[in-house]
Amino acid sequence: MKFLPLILIAGLTGLSLPSTAAASPEKGLEIATELDKRDTGFKDSTSTMVMVLSDQHGQSTQRAIRNRTLEGSSEGDLSLVIFDSPGDVRGTAFLSHTKKAGSDDQWLFLPALKRVKRIASSNKAGPFMGSEFAYEDISSQEVEKYTYNYLRDEKVNGLDCFLVEYDPVDRKSGYSRQLVWIDKKEYRLQKIEFYDRKNSLLKTLSYADYNKFLGKYWRADTLSMENHQTGKKTQLQFSDWAFQTGMTEKDFQKNALKRIK
Amino acid sequence: MKPLSLSWPTAILLTCGPAVSGEVNLTISPQVSYFPSHAEGTIEYGKSVELKLDAYHDFDAYRAELELIARADADDKGRRLVEARQAYLRRSFSNFDLYIGQRQTFWGKAESRNVVDVINQSDAAANQGSEAKLGAPSLSLDGYFDFGDLQLWYISRFRERTFNDGNGHPSSGLNVTTSLYERSEGKEADDIAARFSTFSGDWDFAVSGFQGTAREPLITPTQDSSALNATYMLQETIGFEAQFTGDPTLLKWESLHGTQSGAGFDAAVAGLEYTLYGAFGQVWDLGLIAEGQYDTRPQAAAEHFYSAGLRLVLNDAKDTSFLALMSQDQKQEQSLIAFEASRRLNDWSSLELRSQFYDAKKSGLAFSGIADDDVISLTINMFF
Repeated sequence: MKFLPLILIAGLTGLSLPSTAAASPEKGLEIATELDKRDTGFKDSTSTMVMVLSDQHGQSTQRAIRNRTLEGSSEGDLSLVIFDSPGDVRGTAFLSHTKKAGSDDQWLFLPALKRVKRIASSNKAGPFMGSEFAYEDISSQEVEKYTYNYLRDEKVNGLDCFLVEYDPVDRKSGYSRQLVWIDKKEYRLQKIEFYDRKNSLLKTLSYADYNKFLGKYWRADTLSMENHQTGKKTQLQFSDWAFQTGMTEKDFQKNALKRIK
Repeated sequence: MKPLSLSWPTAILLTCGPAVSGEVNLTISPQVSYFPSHAEGTIEYGKSVELKLDAYHDFDAYRAELELIARADADDKGRRLVEARQAYLRRSFSNFDLYIGQRQTFWGKAESRNVVDVINQSDAAANQGSEAKLGAPSLSLDGYFDFGDLQLWYISRFRERTFNDGNGHPSSGLNVTTSLYERSEGKEADDIAARFSTFSGDWDFAVSGFQGTAREPLITPTQDSSALNATYMLQETIGFEAQFTGDPTLLKWESLHGTQSGAGFDAAVAGLEYTLYGAFGQVWDLGLIAEGQYDTRPQAAAEHFYSAGLRLVLNDAKDTSFLALMSQDQKQEQSLIAFEASRRLNDWSSLELRSQFYDAKKSGLAFSGIADDDVISLTINMFF
């Protein structure tokens, strides 16, 4: 119940709620469902990612990460993240079974101890690897995780976009709401503004360098997150995309963590 | 110095063809230690370095894995070691993996102590708590089923625990010179073990069985009290593990029941971990840990031990974290305060601070012999 008054206040101060009568939760849900539908059927994917963290003084540091995703059938996607650098986290792996409702199941493999640890997933608002991305930003986006409100059309990156407000269902989310720009032609995320629990603009995420795979699945190679409250930035640079590699659920069970390289 | 240029996956790829992959990594960890309350004749400043070579090589359904440790210590001979923590060949089948060679595994759920973690001997002289272990020379099978995972182990011979020398810390001032075995085959005696683990919703469970030589010896003085004997007894046990992964409270249980030298015993650890996210208005995580230990074996420092601690994780780009843990027995006669901190320095190195302060209120207790062994140590890990 906590964020309802926040949104109300935001509306009163003219921060967020559109003044036109065109706003529509039904249309918002339709857009989010269509976006999800267009990305259905890719089966599995792998990619490598370089994460560049920059602080307010322009100093930067990098992490190298490998991603593996298996499209979920009844539940959400299964994902595996393997850290290659920096050296002290090399070989560490993070497994997540996304749930459409409720908490995700998550495990961490600690290579020095050969230990697979089940971890609580309630820290979704916490930073992922000290970056400006929260765990909830990098976890698989399921339609059921938000309620929606289509606000209006706007142009972003020269593209005609829907502007949809995403309100997280989970109270443990670090956000009161997200403003999401989705291009009308291909239903690709173009920009997201994240508002903190006090409804102040916290971060902006920009998507760039989209490529199409298997003739229909779009993936952005560059994701840039800027934290407006700290001045810190994190850029994710993806490469080496591969789809339908033949991975199965067995490759995403907790015992698979011990065998990962 | 760029770490990525110093790992050689591509080099191995080139020499071995396209159907295989592999990697070689090296970690060098120099360590300095200060022992503020050292007894006369024992080490005041410790200097050591540990080298770790990690390598693996995949070909067809096989993997060859090597994890080699070499540790040099300026003064404490007990810490000097060359050890293949892992040196195995694995063959993967559709629903199981078969391993042969030296291998490590981890069993358990708790944080302060893992009573069910019976496969690998502890490399106690590494002074890293229970984190450093020796490889088990073994034939083992990991099976994966819809209803859970099964491990079967045959361990062909016994590995003796490593100990600091009498001039090192922690030690009671005497060297452990002799190993005594209850089983007539001694060091050549083999062990068998099995474990089944599964999870359902927020609950994880495991049950395990072990028959063989106990990993933890009973330490007693030799007849002339000039040195120490380590006596390894026969143990037959059943272990239970459970974890409830709540939001944000974790509940942990592990227990070991059975016989040692024919006498029944029970050992257990029950724990609770509560994490406060976004502590102090920052992105910090503050974890509160409380665990109770119970052990009726003669090797145990006390029948009841209680631990409470705080873990602070800053979630910053340098992965800075702190851990403070206080443990004491039920009579409040012996205690241990531990403080640890770690932080990444750059892409290829990290810094670890460890300190431990022992206290015993009277003589004749397990901690009485190590009350002078307080330690503050600093380690730099360099990754290549």
